[in-house]
Amino acid sequence: MKLIHADVLVIGGGLAGLRTAIGVRRRGLEPLILSLVPAKRSHSVAAQGGMQASLGNCAMGRGDNEDAHFEDTVRGSDWGCDQVVARMFAHMAPKAARELAAWGVPWNRVRAGAHEAVINGERVVIDEHEAAQGLISARDFGGTRKWRTCHTSDGTGHAMLYALGDRAIAEAIPVRERVEALALIHDGERCHGAVARDLVSGELTAYLARATVVATGGYGRIYGVSTNALINEGMGAALALETGVARLGNMEAVQFHPTAIVPAGILVTEGCRGDGGVLRDVDGHRFMPDYEPEKKELASRDVVSRRMAEHMRPVEQGGRGKGVPSPYGEHLWLDITRLGAAHIERNLREVKDICHYFLGIDPACDYIPVRPTQHYSMGGIRTDHRGESPWLSGLFACGEAACWDLHGFNRLGGNSVAETVVAGMLLGEYVADFCHSAQGEHSLSSALARDFVAREQAYLRRLAGRPGKESAVELRRRMERIMTERVGLFRNGDGLRTAVDELGELLARSADIGVRAAHLDANPELVLAYRLPRMLKLALTVAMGALARTESRGAHFREDHPARNDRDWLVRTLARWEPGASRPTLDYEPLDVMRMELPPGFRGYGARNLVEHPDSALRQSEVDELRAAKQDRHAVQSHLMPFKHLLPPRYRRRNARLDES
Amino acid sequence: MPAPVSPGPWPARLDLLQSATGLFLALFMWLHMLFVASILFGTDAMWRVARFFEGYYLFGRSLPWLVSLFVAVVFVLFAVHAGLALRKFPSHWRQHAAYWRHMRGMRHGDTTSWLAQVVTGFGVFFLAPVHLYLMLTHPELIGPYESADRVWSGRMWPLYLLLLLLVEIHAGVGLYRLAVKWLAVGDKARMRLMRLKWGFTVFFIALGLLTLAAYVRLGIEHAPHAGEPYLPTWQRTLS
Amino acid sequence: MTRILDFDILRHNPRDAASVPRLQRYRLAETSGMTLFIALTRIREELDPGVHFDFVCRAAVCGSCAMLINGRPGLACRTLTATLPAHIRLLPLPGFALIADLSVDTGRWMRVMSERLHAWLHVATAVDLDALETRMDPDRAEAVYELDRCIECGCCVAACGTAQMRPDFVGAVGMIKLARFRLDPRDARDDGDFFDLLGDDDGVFGCMSLLGCQDVCPKSLSLQTQIAHLRWAMARRGLAKAGADHGDGI
Repeated sequence: MKLIHADVLVIGGGLAGLRTAIGVRRRGLEPLILSLVPAKRSHSVAAQGGMQASLGNCAMGRGDNEDAHFEDTVRGSDWGCDQVVARMFAHMAPKAARELAAWGVPWNRVRAGAHEAVINGERVVIDEHEAAQGLISARDFGGTRKWRTCHTSDGTGHAMLYALGDRAIAEAIPVRERVEALALIHDGERCHGAVARDLVSGELTAYLARATVVATGGYGRIYGVSTNALINEGMGAALALETGVARLGNMEAVQFHPTAIVPAGILVTEGCRGDGGVLRDVDGHRFMPDYEPEKKELASRDVVSRRMAEHMRPVEQGGRGKGVPSPYGEHLWLDITRLGAAHIERNLREVKDICHYFLGIDPACDYIPVRPTQHYSMGGIRTDHRGESPWLSGLFACGEAACWDLHGFNRLGGNSVAETVVAGMLLGEYVADFCHSAQGEHSLSSALARDFVAREQAYLRRLAGRPGKESAVELRRRMERIMTERVGLFRNGDGLRTAVDELGELLARSADIGVRAAHLDANPELVLAYRLPRMLKLALTVAMGALARTESRGAHFREDHPARNDRDWLVRTLARWEPGASRPTLDYEPLDVMRMELPPGFRGYGARNLVEHPDSALRQSEVDELRAAKQDRHAVQSHLMPFKHLLPPRYRRRNARLDES
Repeated sequence: MPAPVSPGPWPARLDLLQSATGLFLALFMWLHMLFVASILFGTDAMWRVARFFEGYYLFGRSLPWLVSLFVAVVFVLFAVHAGLALRKFPSHWRQHAAYWRHMRGMRHGDTTSWLAQVVTGFGVFFLAPVHLYLMLTHPELIGPYESADRVWSGRMWPLYLLLLLLVEIHAGVGLYRLAVKWLAVGDKARMRLMRLKWGFTVFFIALGLLTLAAYVRLGIEHAPHAGEPYLPTWQRTLS
Repeated sequence: MTRILDFDILRHNPRDAASVPRLQRYRLAETSGMTLFIALTRIREELDPGVHFDFVCRAAVCGSCAMLINGRPGLACRTLTATLPAHIRLLPLPGFALIADLSVDTGRWMRVMSERLHAWLHVATAVDLDALETRMDPDRAEAVYELDRCIECGCCVAACGTAQMRPDFVGAVGMIKLARFRLDPRDARDDGDFFDLLGDDDGVFGCMSLLGCQDVCPKSLSLQTQIAHLRWAMARRGLAKAGADHGDGI
């Protein structure tokens, strides 16, 4: 058996994993990254529009600060997030953007003087301040009160991933490419690393580490149509779930992005709307102002997606019946023609390429066919603010794979790539602290590792060449259909019950998947055969969480329970999978209203439909009192909800801005 | 990671030298073609051009060694250019095979034309020295009859015909490649360059064929008196 | 009318001593908007679960799916079958280690190239994360992004006759990377440093300007222009180098 030791094992080579590895390396530890694909091909590369950081440089971003970013994030989450984490994040985001600037990301910069922009469909002139010349610029995104989204044209994820990928190479961090973790090695209390399979040779290796960091991204591919890369099958979350000890948080919180192209499901960035694009229906009518007169196309993603779906639904089912029919089902139009060819060429060139190659149209002249499509997993491996699982010491998670819980029930556009690097910066420190502490000592007998490898080896031998009667492709299609139809944008009790039953049945059947090819080296059939049962477990966790949560919050919308119910459901869903069980076990972790900096309130979309938490009013009056008494925003904040003591010391200082010294 | 080791200045210098010699030789070939083509304007015109290069109009008398000297310089540059170009040729069978397979799959003009350059360069490498050596040792034998006799009675025309095709293709492609090698050329400009290159190649080959035909005709007419030097018409009337 | 498409796909497992490279034919009815991603997925799901190929983003941004499509390198995910004849031949990208069938190891190649060329931003000073960021000219930032758009797909290497003959040649991808860092005011290196990385026949002076790279680059990077700029800069450096400043470079 092959055994490889490292100080820190990082599973996943996207932005979050890379930044964590760089962080621990800088603390003098030896990280090792496992990645399904070459690191620079990770899904982070697909992020287009930008990264939120309250730098406040551009004219439309002046006056922005951590407070505004924090509040937008909490409102966006529909009060489902952990406010301490949101605070840490808002404080860190400017540092992350600035670090990336120094490491080579060619952020778009402020150009002093007047320039034209499109706001709410109108051409306006914006005058950029001389003092801001050459500082990092920002564009508008949904659900934000300032222009806060830093970007490099619409290839932000690419520029960020390449900067960090290059950094990792510069720091000689080893990346084992085409290697897949199959199981976490643990003793029920402490995680010691992972068993991983080389996807080319098929060889199994036990990677042993003081700390294991899961940064494998989301689980979007349990849905039939998703903007996610094909590798986003949630395997990191599934590994944690299969320990039987670690828990997943808020798995039912799944985001649908308003604008993926039809039929390919490829994302076109929110930056299209941020830069002035509008949504139109079959009559060419701009319909969003009818629903959301204030925020219009730039309402939160969950809101825009639901409004679009509602607008397309047939009249007899309570919709407006204004979708555009097509051979691939109904869709709506995204119109960015108003922005002009020059702007598109400069700031939305990926969008232009996507339209050209996948649709054969020019977005400067033609409307883009779009429809809401699965996009982001707010749920994931539940961790504390340090990224560590409270149930399995030494297991850390960050980025989309984790639920530390920054996004609650809806993520704001531009907060995902920001989260990945911020979490990576923080985990680099927390994980290093852990490794240097008494807990971080390596204390494993290789017998346990051998047992885990033997178990996985035996499982794979059983699978390869097994003449089972079930087709993995068929089961997968059924799962995707169930998730899309019954656990999608709109959910209801009956549909979810059916979904849970059917997914449970599929999971049972998946034990009998047939695999024709008997060899254990590179074998795509074998890979699907062992991944599918894990995907089904995640799908069941999502569906059961959604069934149990009898309220609507953020992206989780129950037609039979349309109100947000803070009284009963201001809680985080936790899911655990007992070894040998056929269903996950759910329990709940309450959010403490009395410690919130921003007590629950109305988010401002549609009609107020809200069951209040008994503490909300009380906490609100406390907050109001404090705000009236204090002048300085930092002082107010630290009284309301202290968080800086939780940050690594090197990140505690204030962020400089043009307006603030 | 090991610190980079400087390659030293020579790869850069050799690359420059290859380009510079190529540029000189190609431009020289074009001018040479134009001078030789003076025969199309009559034997006297060609005689004047030949005497011009012997310094006749500068010093008042012909100094054929001037031509020898120039030929020697060309010969040296030719050898240097060929030597440098050899570095780029595929040397192993594996490289040959790889290029062939690649070229056939790509169906890409610039890739195919490189092989044409290798083949034509190879041909020129063998044929040009024959001519160069003749010019080096017998610089005085450049003139309407002298050249025509060499072409026809000296049975050089098959060599010249082949050399014409090889040189013009090689020089045309070479000049185009020099442009895309050293100048920032956009896609549109590159298309124009490519058309220009073809234009020049066709023009010079056509001119070359006409010229060669002229010498062949003259050579046939003059065959009975082969070896007799040419006297310009005005000298004939004087004598 | 629906076309019937014949896909000839190279099948080979280099780890299996008994495997002989061969073309295997698969037949599919074309559907509207069909890309090679859709076609290959259908082949795997309906006809042969063992065919190897790599797709990750399937949106032409990750660079995983480059292959030879009727002889020319391209991204399979964004290639519409409608743009191809009914007979489609798919081969793995040449110049890279074969994993199996259409899957090649571009990742390893790119990492080795990056390590060899020191292809990362060389930062001169420690970063103060709390202060205003260093200013940068907006046009320069855009120009740097323009060169930063390379997705390391390997098409330029597969389209390069030089790289096909000489495996140590850095290819357009290596040169565009250094051109990007050379343009970036944040990079502390000067032309002398870049010369040490690029100034030989495996670097910019090995390039024979065949321009296959320029003509297949899926991101339409200005490779020809950048290589020409680099060649001038490095040639100038080579002429200036009397051998004093950086040694003789044996």
